[in-house]
Amino acid sequence: MRPLEGVRIADLTWLMAGAGGLKLMSALGAEVIRVEWHGRMDWLRFHAQTPIPYRQPDHAPLDPQNPNRSGYFNAINAGKYGISLNVKHPEGRKLFLRLVGISDVVVESFTAETMDKLGLGYEVLKSVKPDIIYYQQPGWGKKGPYVKYASYGPIAQGISGLTEQSGLPDPAPPAGWGFSYMDWSGAYYCAIGMLLALNYKQATGKGQYIDGSQIEPAIYMTGTAILDYVANGRHWQRDGNRSRYQPAAPHGAYRCAGPGADRWIAIAVRDEQEWRGLVREMGQPGWSADPKFATMAARIANQDELDRRIEAWTKDQDAYAIQERLQKAGVPAGVCQRAQDRLERDPQLKHLKWMIDLPHSYVGTWPHRDIAWHFANLESDQGGPTRRSAPCYGEDNDYVYGELLKLSKAEQERLRRDGVI
Amino acid sequence: MTGFLSHIKVLELGDEKGEFCGKLFAGAGADVIKVEPPGGSSTRSIGPFYQDRPDPERSLYFWHFNFGKRGVTLDINAAEGRDLLRGLLAQTAVVIDSLPLDTMENLGFTWDALRSLNPGLVYVRITPFGRSGPWRDYKANDLVHMALGGEMMHCGYDPKPDLTYDTPPIAAQMWHSYHIAGNQAFIAALGALFARGNTQRGDYIDIPIHQAISCCTEHDVECFLFTGRPYLRLTGRHARPEPDAPTQYRTKDGRYHCIIVNPFAGGFEAAVELLRRKGFADDLGSEKYKDPENRRNREFHHHFYDQIGKCVAASNLEETWHEAQDLGIPWVPVRKPEENLNDPQWRARETFGEVDHPELGRSFTYPRSPMLSEECPWRTGPRAPLIGEHNAEVYGEILGKGADELSRLRERKII
Repeated sequence: MRPLEGVRIADLTWLMAGAGGLKLMSALGAEVIRVEWHGRMDWLRFHAQTPIPYRQPDHAPLDPQNPNRSGYFNAINAGKYGISLNVKHPEGRKLFLRLVGISDVVVESFTAETMDKLGLGYEVLKSVKPDIIYYQQPGWGKKGPYVKYASYGPIAQGISGLTEQSGLPDPAPPAGWGFSYMDWSGAYYCAIGMLLALNYKQATGKGQYIDGSQIEPAIYMTGTAILDYVANGRHWQRDGNRSRYQPAAPHGAYRCAGPGADRWIAIAVRDEQEWRGLVREMGQPGWSADPKFATMAARIANQDELDRRIEAWTKDQDAYAIQERLQKAGVPAGVCQRAQDRLERDPQLKHLKWMIDLPHSYVGTWPHRDIAWHFANLESDQGGPTRRSAPCYGEDNDYVYGELLKLSKAEQERLRRDGVI
Repeated sequence: MTGFLSHIKVLELGDEKGEFCGKLFAGAGADVIKVEPPGGSSTRSIGPFYQDRPDPERSLYFWHFNFGKRGVTLDINAAEGRDLLRGLLAQTAVVIDSLPLDTMENLGFTWDALRSLNPGLVYVRITPFGRSGPWRDYKANDLVHMALGGEMMHCGYDPKPDLTYDTPPIAAQMWHSYHIAGNQAFIAALGALFARGNTQRGDYIDIPIHQAISCCTEHDVECFLFTGRPYLRLTGRHARPEPDAPTQYRTKDGRYHCIIVNPFAGGFEAAVELLRRKGFADDLGSEKYKDPENRRNREFHHHFYDQIGKCVAASNLEETWHEAQDLGIPWVPVRKPEENLNDPQWRARETFGEVDHPELGRSFTYPRSPMLSEECPWRTGPRAPLIGEHNAEVYGEILGKGADELSRLRERKII
């Protein structure tokens, strides 16, 4: 049994911060019905196109007009159902409300006031389904003076403080995040909000409206730095890969031999035992006996020199060989892995079966990252109830309009002709 | 007014690997009981400290990550301590266990034993690499996790023109590997709790941190699968196979703005309007550039982003961005965390709130909620527990232990 069996979600999200939360809900077994309209298609549908068949390039040029070839979209929307529906059309709006009537949750990630403008605000949804859960996740939230402001992952990271918390000390600029961390975390909080409300409804029978935001969860994660300012008046300062709040040295990324000399290993030494292990693996170099490195305090004080010494040892060696040796000696160490490393070299991810093959109706079967939780009894994987990758555009119209909403074939045909579905 | 999970009791065992998951439970209203060894959790030694005085009751890390929980002390390795633990395990809905591998099994608390003790138990097991596999016993901390999981190799600074690097990959600070794993653990646990509401049966959930963070790197895996091309690290923006235009620009006061403006899409006209108002439009508003075809070349891009850069260079950190946002341009100051404290947006949403620390005679401002619900507001207190603060309350309330017995347990260092 999947944990959310019997839960139905009307999904108006797009891009990643919202849509990614729904892929977690479908992995947990919810019936997620993604509502799309070709007049304004999610642009992720045209991003990172999949060669067909998988890894056997068909030499056919990728088709930028084809909405069903995006590998990234397919990953983010795996396990969902998909229908085409123009909610801006008066009949489309009515049809959407019929879908709401048989759903437990409505979720969207438009700008904050879009649903009100469409006549689909919480009061309207509630009039159709009194215990509906409506989760909204605009960038800045609906309440507050910035209701019209725009946000993407890097914007959320920039304003919240997460960008500033990554990088070398001044005068270097912040390094920030090399991806939309807050799209992923936004997806987590989208799922969290819906799951909290579903648990609450199960206990009390009550639905509710939740005003989510992509930025607030980022602020929520900066609490220790906030407290350091509030309690101690200290402003945030970047310090690269060093250990800011727990004594540790060496603590950083060290260059190894390898492609383009862009191969690095992270090493963290937090106590004397780990230090002795590292020194032993380095072959007890003379410098390591210097009083400059005799205690943790001394190593922290002389960290610049220590880092140069460590890198002189790592730079001509294979990163994985060092990782293996240091781990055997009880020293925390790990290669700064790329995607290829995680896919082809990492034996632990392979052991955990982190990739799962899922069929897609247009591009065929290819691997997806599975969800990272492993239930002993409950069933949960990225295929969700559909047992497949993302839906093609409008793929499940027959199921939703025919089986769920009981529209006749003739009625569906009329709606199609009238540009409603 | 009540929390989402006011009906749920949670037991938290372990260290920083599980504390964020416990914090989310507490924030959402659950009664989270944090079990620490006598003397307090090892995470009380993580800084910074209030007034920079290292002390297990003054760790600001601990305050933040354990906000809203109750705290008890317990020596689970002693026979009597194990009995108390069994009593607690029998009466809780959720356990978050981030203890070293095999700890609970060696105490006799295998999953089989636990589920016969408490069939409805949802058991969340957070481990660095998983409970089996070739890296099972690898040692890691936040830095090493961010390296192995792939996050770190995406974050850093632009390469040199020959696309080689003289700077290392950078791991974002502040324990994000535990945030990422904690978020996913919370999601899985909430799913299992929902199922439990229907079936009265619990479940055991494994969350390997390494896998959780390996899944959180956006599209590097998909891109490699489809094209075989590795990503480059690029300053303050998305890693990708080849360098693109910057998104981060230096301000007059030596700080940065982050700007995402696409010179093709509708954002172009808005950007030109802003640049015009600020005196940096140059020829960008000319007839020539009204045709998007004339904007599809490298020279135009350089020119466009140079003008944006000049506009930012004439602004201080908190200038210009509201005007840009009013024109619909995604544009923000790159703030330090504390610079959000007085922002009217977060004031309106009560994102931050005062939390009383009575023993210190004052309150402190915390970020308290990641979302807004009128029906189920996020928890506003109390502050993280002192060592053993709720021993009498919890052992009395849940296990019926009297004052005499508690003082005997205290003398024998069981609690």
